[in-house]
Formats: sequence, structure tokens, C-alpha cells
Amino acid sequence: MASTLRLYLTCIRNTLEAAMCLQNFPCQEVERHNKPEVELKTSPELLLNPVLICRNEAEKCLIETSINSLRISLKVKQADELENILAKKFLRFLSMRAEAFQVLRRKPVQGYDISFLITNYHCEELQKQKLIDFIVQFMEDIDKEISELKMSVSTRGRLVATEFLKQF
Amino acid sequence: MMAGAEKFVEADNAEAIITRIEHKSRKIESLLKQNKPVEALKTALEGSSHMIRDERCKSANWIVVHRALMAIKDVEGMFSSLDPEYYDILMKYLYRGLSTGDRPTCDQCLRIHEKLTERAGLGCILRSLADTLFFHDSYFQIRVAVTWVIWSPIWLFYLG
Repeated sequence: MASTLRLYLTCIRNTLEAAMCLQNFPCQEVERHNKPEVELKTSPELLLNPVLICRNEAEKCLIETSINSLRISLKVKQADELENILAKKFLRFLSMRAEAFQVLRRKPVQGYDISFLITNYHCEELQKQKLIDFIVQFMEDIDKEISELKMSVSTRGRLVATEFLKQF
Repeated sequence: MMAGAEKFVEADNAEAIITRIEHKSRKIESLLKQNKPVEALKTALEGSSHMIRDERCKSANWIVVHRALMAIKDVEGMFSSLDPEYYDILMKYLYRGLSTGDRPTCDQCLRIHEKLTERAGLGCILRSLADTLFFHDSYFQIRVAVTWVIWSPIWLFYLG
């Protein structure tokens, strides 16, 4: 179980290292505009093949690259209904504060839980290796966070139920 | 117009390619029975660089490659006998396997992907990402060839 997680993260790390080759590219259609080509998808020659890396039926990662931007969409593991709700709320909390993260996208791509958009400007200001480390660390920490949240919810529920039923 | 003519020729070729794939799958089954998974994988990967366009050929070949990939138990041993010319094609098929979402396929593909990246490097990954249909389009290739033909004598003259 842990070994497939390690392999999954290694695969994503290698793919990101290869795919994160971004350069500035002003918009071809409109003068003086500079847009992330992966979002607009207007010119096929500026896009690379999107890559979908699945660990199993529930977890997957979509990496789409273009000449000046890279979009990473993640779907995290959600074993039951409670984890579903916790993941949705937690990731929505993070997405709403996307400015603080800089590389986060405010809305996840359709079919996924959270998305990152990395542009050439981010690669110029921030280090490429550190960006990749951040994303891989994020994926590891998300699973831990959701398990912790689930455990705290069940602990709190148990305490509340014990206190309430003491009176009977 | 050129692309249309190519598609017409490709349709005839597709039938020939699918027949070839069926022959390959019989050969691969016999190789797997003889316990030679690496030869089976080599047979499966041969000739796949020509079928960039037709979706049916790609799917048919994927089934055959998938069969050979799942039969491999010793990944290190496989790489010691696989020629480097197959690395790029293998990487493309690994990504196709990873996109299926089927747990045993993904486990096997992730295992092979790690070792293949160690062997072939990041360039292999980038070549599989960059191999889009746009760069195989005949119109694009004619433009590239014409540009090269026009400009190379000028540069050679300039460089003396």
C-alpha cells in the first residue's frame, strides 16, 4: 500500500520535472495580451499531450502542459460519505484562499477535487524544484489531513454522545 | 486536401495493420507460454511507431502490449535485455496504461515507469508528451521541409 503511494508520487514527480519547461509566450491572436495557453487551448501547436496518472479507480492526477503554463488536477481518495464531505469542504477552503498559494486555481477542473495552475512567471520567481516538492508534499499531506479530520469528527461525536446519554 | 488524401490511404493500411496485430498477438501468446515475457514485449512494441493516426489500430495494439506488460515479473531483468530504441514507445504505452485506472495495470505501469525513467531519463518522458498529432500532420512536415530547403543553402553560404 505504502509502496504504491511512493511509486505514484515518484511517477508524478518525474512527469512534472519533464513537463515543467515553460517560457514566456505572448498571445498569438490578440496583441499585447499574455494568457496561459493551457486554459484557453486555442492553438494546437502550443499544447503537449495531457497525461493522466491513476493510482487506482479513486485517485488520479491529470497533468496538462503548454508552452507557457502547466495545469495539474488532483482527485483525492474518498473512501466513504464522511470523507467525501470532509475533502470537499477542506479543499474548497483552500481554493477560496488561492491568492495566498499563488499556484492554486480557484475552481478545480471538472471531475477533479483541486487544480494548480503554474505559469512561466511562477517559474521565474520561484524555484522549479521547490514547486515540484510543494505539489508532491501537498498530495501526501492531503491524505493525512483528511484522516485526521475524520478521526477528530468521530472522537467528538463519541464524546458528545457519551455526555448526552449520561443523563439517561 | 493533402491530409484528406492521406486519410484515404490510411484506411486501407488500417486493415493491413490490424491483421498484422492479430498475427502478433498469436506469436506473443506462444512466447508467453514458453516463459519469455521480454521477447513478447519486444514483439508487441515493434512496428507501433507507424500507427499514430488510426484509433482502432492504436487500441488493438494496446491490448497486445497490455497482455505482454502484465506478464512481466522481473522489471530489472527486462531492462537489461530491452534495446534502448524501444524506450520511447514503451513510455507512451505506460502512460496509456496509467490512464486506464485499473488497479493491477496501474501498479505494474508505475513500477516499470520508475525504472524506465532511471534508465532513459526525463527526455524520454518529454518525447512522449511532445509527440502530438500536429507534428505528424503532412502539411506541417511539408512546411518544415520547404523552410529547411530554402534556408539551409543561405546559411551554408554565409558560414562559408
